[in-house]
Amino acid sequence: MLEAFVDGLLLVLHWKAFAFMLAGIGVGFWVGLLPGLGGATTLALMLPFIYNMQPVEAFAFLLGMHSVVATTGDITSILFGVPGEATTAAIILDGHAMAKKGEAGRALGAALASSLIGALIGAAALALAIPIVRPLVLTFGSPELFMLAVVGLAFIASLSGQGARGMVRGFLAGGLGLFLAMVGQDPQAGVARFTLDTLYLWQGLDLVPVLVGLFALPEIIDLVVRGTSIAGNVPAGNISKGALEGVKDAFRHFWLTVRCSLIGTFIGITPGLGGAVAQWMAYGHATQSARNTEERKGFGEGDVRGVIGPGAACNSKEGGALIPTIAFGVPGSTSMAILLGGFFLLGLVPGPDMLTKHLPVTFSMVWTIVLANLITVALCFVLLNRLTALTAVPGHLLVPVILVLVFIGSYTGNNNYADIVVTLVFGAVGYFMVLAGWPRAPLVLGLVLGKIAENYLYISVARYDWAWLTRPVVMVLILIAVAVVVYPAIQAWRQRSRA
Amino acid sequence: MPNRASLGLALLIMAVAGWGIYTALEWPLKAKLFPLVIGIPLFCLAAAEAIWAVFGNEAAGAAADFKLSEGQDQGVVPRRTLLAAGWAIGFFFAIVLLGFQVAVPLLVFAYIRLQGRESWLFTAVFTVAVWAIFYGLFDLLLHLPFPPGLLFGWLA
Repeated sequence: MLEAFVDGLLLVLHWKAFAFMLAGIGVGFWVGLLPGLGGATTLALMLPFIYNMQPVEAFAFLLGMHSVVATTGDITSILFGVPGEATTAAIILDGHAMAKKGEAGRALGAALASSLIGALIGAAALALAIPIVRPLVLTFGSPELFMLAVVGLAFIASLSGQGARGMVRGFLAGGLGLFLAMVGQDPQAGVARFTLDTLYLWQGLDLVPVLVGLFALPEIIDLVVRGTSIAGNVPAGNISKGALEGVKDAFRHFWLTVRCSLIGTFIGITPGLGGAVAQWMAYGHATQSARNTEERKGFGEGDVRGVIGPGAACNSKEGGALIPTIAFGVPGSTSMAILLGGFFLLGLVPGPDMLTKHLPVTFSMVWTIVLANLITVALCFVLLNRLTALTAVPGHLLVPVILVLVFIGSYTGNNNYADIVVTLVFGAVGYFMVLAGWPRAPLVLGLVLGKIAENYLYISVARYDWAWLTRPVVMVLILIAVAVVVYPAIQAWRQRSRA
Repeated sequence: MPNRASLGLALLIMAVAGWGIYTALEWPLKAKLFPLVIGIPLFCLAAAEAIWAVFGNEAAGAAADFKLSEGQDQGVVPRRTLLAAGWAIGFFFAIVLLGFQVAVPLLVFAYIRLQGRESWLFTAVFTVAVWAIFYGLFDLLLHLPFPPGLLFGWLA
């Protein structure tokens, strides 16, 4: 085992594999920075290039690219409030708020450090879990996966607002997200639901145009209203010192970083949930780490823990998602499904062979994730001053450039003008949600989880009738969901009685 | 203002959920199970929020989310908000009519000149730089398909 581990490292360090990894990092770096152009799309675009490569070279290229996308996606999210990736939207809430306060360097430092820690934990989980993960994944059936989705939604809905009314708004936003997820052809009966008699909506609402509209347009409107740069008249301060402070923050809240990394890894392992869920669950957990309601009010206004949580989870999920992909050929996300295509193109079959005959190749993937993240984070720190200076660029120069990126990002997913209309509509919805003080995170999570949750609910009811509710893991997850909803109320009550 | 916006959103969700429930009633059980399970509580929660918005405290229940900048002159906020929305919608129509290739430099040029009041020279240089990056990255390098605008089709 140890020999294969070392062999894996040597395989990646071979000049050809290393060069392909650097090329992958180069592509992933820019893809992450550009809003809308996702890691999964780029993986699909790059897949034809691996035909003539050796397995280690191909995975160094593909994984090198894919594992840095989330890291650089965080940069766009923090600096411009535009999600660089669908998986880096949660970091906007506090990361961009920090950038507006002149703390862009600190936010980036925290995001980069937590991303690196997350990636290392995800890679370690991949290395350690391969022999023992099979029984864990196999205990999760549709009922457990449905309840996991419910827990995720309860987490974010109950923690993203203050008091009972805040919770109602959280659940309203989450419910609206679930409702919007039903748009399109229903998977069970084939009924076209809420399609407004248009062919475009038969496929359902695409996540990227919704996300870009919901998060980017309100920020752009605010930038126009203020008429200043992103950081306003607040001086950026000493950026390197700020970044160092951010790195220290990640270690100051080390256990939060570790816990959020583990959340990301676990969501990554669980097939079908994906990275968009991991970031919000980690954000919800970070919010929960507030000791009292007063401290919780700081989330959304630039609390560094709101940056650390999603940053760590986003990168740790890659290692986690590789576990079921390699061990059973069950992809944990869209990107992993595309990567699975890469396995077959290279003549590799996921399963026992990857844990015996091709074990060095498997470990080379672990090393690729580690090395790619180390190189990217180092590169980001070198470029930090230039990147952070962008927050001081006057708003009237940034607005048209961001608008161009937003519209291109929205359009390129499906090459359809209707996607831009969706972006504009959800831009208006997002603006009014911000104006009304409603949280947007539950809406996104509802939209992401809706289809999965419906599918799992239907299979659970069809297979077990209502007896699925009595399965032990389901009952534990129900208790967790109830606790997540009740906990803030108990916390507020205890605080009141203490006062 | 937050309560008015909240009331508007709650009423909108009530209308959407009500329409969803009414429409779903005609579908087979397989298709209507989830819409009803979600739609009915959604309608009730939206009704509760609407009542809260009419009778409740304006500041209650603020979200852990991005907040619009405060301290702006309230006289200019609605005008600038509409202006920003106008630019975004105008850009969309320019894309549809002229295509990305023309709409991108047009937006950048018009925005910087009219909104930013930069000099002609700076505006021209900045526009060319943005267009070169757009063309080099998305067209030459990534080969993303950007169709020509509808206007060119009509004129041809």
